[in-house]
Amino acid sequence: MTTKILLALTLLAGAVQAQTVTGKAFGTYVNAAGVTSQSPVATLPSSGGMATGQADAFGVAGAVDASWLNAVTTGAVDDKKSGAQSTSELEQVSAAGGAITADVVTAVATAYFGQFTGGSDATGTGFTNLVVNGVPVTEDVAPNTWVDLPGVGYAILNEQISTGNGLTSWGMTVNMIHVVLQDALLGLTTGEIIIGSASSSVAR
Amino acid sequence: MNHARHLSLALAAIAAVLVAVACHDAASPQGPITAGILPPGPKHDKGGNQCANFRLTGGGRVDQRDHLGYEKNTPESHDFATFGFQARPSSSCPPTDGSGNIEWNEHNPDEFGGGFAFHGRVTYFTTPTDETFDDSRCGRFGGSGRLNTRNDGTFEDVIFEVNHACDVDEPGVGNDHIKITIGDVYTRHGILSGGNIQQHRLTGNN
Repeated sequence: MTTKILLALTLLAGAVQAQTVTGKAFGTYVNAAGVTSQSPVATLPSSGGMATGQADAFGVAGAVDASWLNAVTTGAVDDKKSGAQSTSELEQVSAAGGAITADVVTAVATAYFGQFTGGSDATGTGFTNLVVNGVPVTEDVAPNTWVDLPGVGYAILNEQISTGNGLTSWGMTVNMIHVVLQDALLGLTTGEIIIGSASSSVAR
Repeated sequence: MNHARHLSLALAAIAAVLVAVACHDAASPQGPITAGILPPGPKHDKGGNQCANFRLTGGGRVDQRDHLGYEKNTPESHDFATFGFQARPSSSCPPTDGSGNIEWNEHNPDEFGGGFAFHGRVTYFTTPTDETFDDSRCGRFGGSGRLNTRNDGTFEDVIFEVNHACDVDEPGVGNDHIKITIGDVYTRHGILSGGNIQQHRLTGNN
């Protein structure tokens, strides 16, 4: 009897300890020509809480220019309900030498579970006045939209990556602009630019 | 017996007046702005409010106003706000002291200062007094912070109140809702078009 109680308590403790939330958000990340640069990152503590990463402006010549960078992540761990929600916003964005511009870039990544269900989504993400290769994009950009950037490489717009097993863990990463830089002759990847990134996950 | 009954009626009348005053404060229209100085915000009368035995976290986006849906507004309008917060009551109650932080970013150029980023620090946490009064899924908190506008500079020690933040259901989109008042110059109230608000038991420091 005592052994069974100890076993149950051990399993219960394990279940409680297994509950985690993660959250991360940032405005820009650039890895080009062997140089890596990143705007302030908001990283959620493993026990939950809140973190921010902000900058009035951020620029890497030829790669990205942006202003009003705001990254926020919040979350909490609870035995009945846990969640993490992360947002990243930038304004006056110009990427890849002006191949992509937008007035506002907004990334939202949410992950949660309650007593009976869990989930993750990127609802709320969007662009304001997005222009790609000189062409205005007036419709909502579908998740994981691929666009060629002549002389630069390619970009994935509204990149959404689901994580977790859907039973005990859920997660979402959103990269609103993910530029892959390629060598013009060989097509080899030479770097990348990520703009408007938000990630959230929960596990129980 | 009659004395007790009269006393109860009197207390009920006083409570009703306090609630009405609190609701009126929360719904006050925007006032004129004196250059460089923000007029005082809504009065944060803690009287009549109750200690809350939960904490709240949330983050996401609000587009539509006053519960008129939760679709994103057109990109050209820039009419939306994003936010993130954590708030909780202090360990002892009463009083209704609280702690936490909030970030609120308004993008509408027609709002105060041509839009702004607000960084607030929570100093009280209690139950709502507005239309969500008596809704156990909602919390109310406030304090002061820095208002960094796009066109009109920065204002310090600006009073704010999240009149209510409600964890209605999962997911938060289309369900949860929030109302914030900053100074006497801004308010936004709507259902989440992105993100989530969660109510949690009080445990630890987070």
